[in-house]
Amino acid sequence: MSYQRTATYSSRRQQNWSRNQNTVAFISSVKLGPVAHTVLVALMITVLGLIYLTQATRATSYDYASQKIDSQIADLNTKKSDLEVENARLTALETVKNSSVAREMTAATNTQYVHE
Amino acid sequence: MNLELQKGSRSRILAGLVLAVMAVFIVRLFYLQIIQHDYYVGLADQEQIKRLTIPAKRGLIYALDNNKPVQIVMNETIYTVFADPQTTEDNGKIIETIRQVAGGNAQANMEERLSNKASRYQVLATRITRTQADKIKKEGLKGIGFQELTQRVYPEGSLAAQTLGFVDFEGTGRYGIEGKLNTRLLGTDGLLQSVTDVSDVPLTIGNRNVNKPAVDGENVVLSLDRNVQSHTEQALADGLKRTGATNGSAIVMDPRTGRIMAMANLPTFKPEEFNKVEDPAVFNNATVSVPYEPGSDIKTLTVATGIDKGVITPSSTYVNTDYIKVDDRVISNASKGQTGTITIQHALNWSLNTGMVTIAQRLGDGTTITKQARDTMYDYFFNKFGLGQFTGIELAGEAGGTIISPDEQDGNAVRYSNMSFGQGMDVTMVQVAAAFSSLVNGGNYYKPTVLAGVIDKNGVYNQQATKPVRTTVSKSTADQLKEMTHIARNTFYSSYDKPGYYVGGKTGTSETLENGHYVDNQTVGTYLGYGGADEAAYVIMVQVSGKNMPLQGGRDALPIFTDISNWMIDYLKLQPKG
Repeated sequence: MSYQRTATYSSRRQQNWSRNQNTVAFISSVKLGPVAHTVLVALMITVLGLIYLTQATRATSYDYASQKIDSQIADLNTKKSDLEVENARLTALETVKNSSVAREMTAATNTQYVHE
Repeated sequence: MNLELQKGSRSRILAGLVLAVMAVFIVRLFYLQIIQHDYYVGLADQEQIKRLTIPAKRGLIYALDNNKPVQIVMNETIYTVFADPQTTEDNGKIIETIRQVAGGNAQANMEERLSNKASRYQVLATRITRTQADKIKKEGLKGIGFQELTQRVYPEGSLAAQTLGFVDFEGTGRYGIEGKLNTRLLGTDGLLQSVTDVSDVPLTIGNRNVNKPAVDGENVVLSLDRNVQSHTEQALADGLKRTGATNGSAIVMDPRTGRIMAMANLPTFKPEEFNKVEDPAVFNNATVSVPYEPGSDIKTLTVATGIDKGVITPSSTYVNTDYIKVDDRVISNASKGQTGTITIQHALNWSLNTGMVTIAQRLGDGTTITKQARDTMYDYFFNKFGLGQFTGIELAGEAGGTIISPDEQDGNAVRYSNMSFGQGMDVTMVQVAAAFSSLVNGGNYYKPTVLAGVIDKNGVYNQQATKPVRTTVSKSTADQLKEMTHIARNTFYSSYDKPGYYVGGKTGTSETLENGHYVDNQTVGTYLGYGGADEAAYVIMVQVSGKNMPLQGGRDALPIFTDISNWMIDYLKLQPKG
């Protein structure tokens, strides 16, 4: 590694820069005119609008998902109730009495109790 | 380059025009959005915000099955199938599918209905089940819709029909528990107010959404035991067949709590098919809604009154001549020949009217039914035993009946002599059964009830406690009366009961009024009794009647009591004494 010495010495005070300060300022060679600015602002507004729309739509899609689940719950509850009704019909005394099993049964004999 | 607008140039004019147009827009928008703000918000709300009613589910009704609640009244989802004739395709397939699946529930004129293109709503089938609806949905028929409805279901058929009542087509409970507890069973509809999409799907956007959940109706548990109820109805039906009676009623009650275990009435109906009933009289629960002259069953109360007031004991005697004069009337016994000096127990065994009139006289000066005697009888019958007044049982259409006060002109000695053996008064079976229960349980009157408790939202059965409302007679009086009725039954019917059990009762044969006069060819037969081992576990009251039929308590009602009583001993697993 090699370096060159400066030809003349100048103090740091004279150099107009100090520690932790950028010593170089870049100036873009691309200059934006008023039209470009307008387009950029319009794009930003569009992006913001899209973000808003995405959020709003997401809320709505949650509603649909929620609605679907609610509907499934209601459907299953209805099915459960209907099965309970069917069960009650099948176990109703009238049904049981007229069942083939009941018809095969014999009359109960007298109950006997054993006293301790 | 300097692009400044030149004064009076076309560009300057264009700019002015644009500004003017913009100004118009701004003014118009200001008018619409600021001044007319509320109006347009209202219009938007009307379009976007929907108020949906969340229907509350009608409460279920349970009965007991060996103390375990079982559902006996439920709700079932049913569907109405409708078509939009403007959008349907392949009507032939629609008709074939619906006829095949819905059967008798399909409309007869479906072709005509589907060809009515001017209409957008035509019902094709009604009251189809969920399974049937699913089968139709699977076919993917275009232009077919389903409307969900709820109907009340009574899976036990006609069991306890009058006690349950029914729900009419408007959703209102009628008769029985459905009618009496309609408000409690109905619940409260909820409200959902929300912004909705075009399909009416509620969305969460908006800050004025309201979600008030529906409060479902209460699930109540009846004290009826469905096995006891079923056997009671069967025994009653057998009894009516045997005797030829056309009407019959029976109550089975737990005297230790006042809970009704069975309440049967014939003829009956199926609550699900209430609209097919021709005679609405079958809706009435005769045990609570039809007051009648109870006849000799009331002798148990007269004897209890006499013992409690200390004017007689079971062994007190009087001279029976089969006739007794009260003012200008002569009252005679239905059973004649037990003349001479006899005991009150003997009079009760033979159901002698003269014995009861004698007790009424002894409540006064010993020879006449004085005002004091009538006041005493009224106090016991009306105030203590609760005859002639509403019991407060949880059933629609309860009748109070009538007990004439001694302060009224008709409340004279003749009236009260008749009342001593159960005539000249109108009471209901449930009043008599509740009063008699207090005589076999030691003197405690329990309000008769058909409610055993409720089932909460978590499905937990919370029992409703019962406690005596008042004391009717002393324990000593109650015990003596219980023994007297046991002797009265054993005098004639001891072989009917299972050995080792303590069963007692009293027959009743009451005359009926036709056009204000008692008729001989039409009597109502009743039997009122109890049974158990160490303590009375049940009270049963049976009544049979029929147009122009001379029915008797001992011959016609008692066998029904015996049938139920012997069955109850086995069902309750009561162990014999000794």
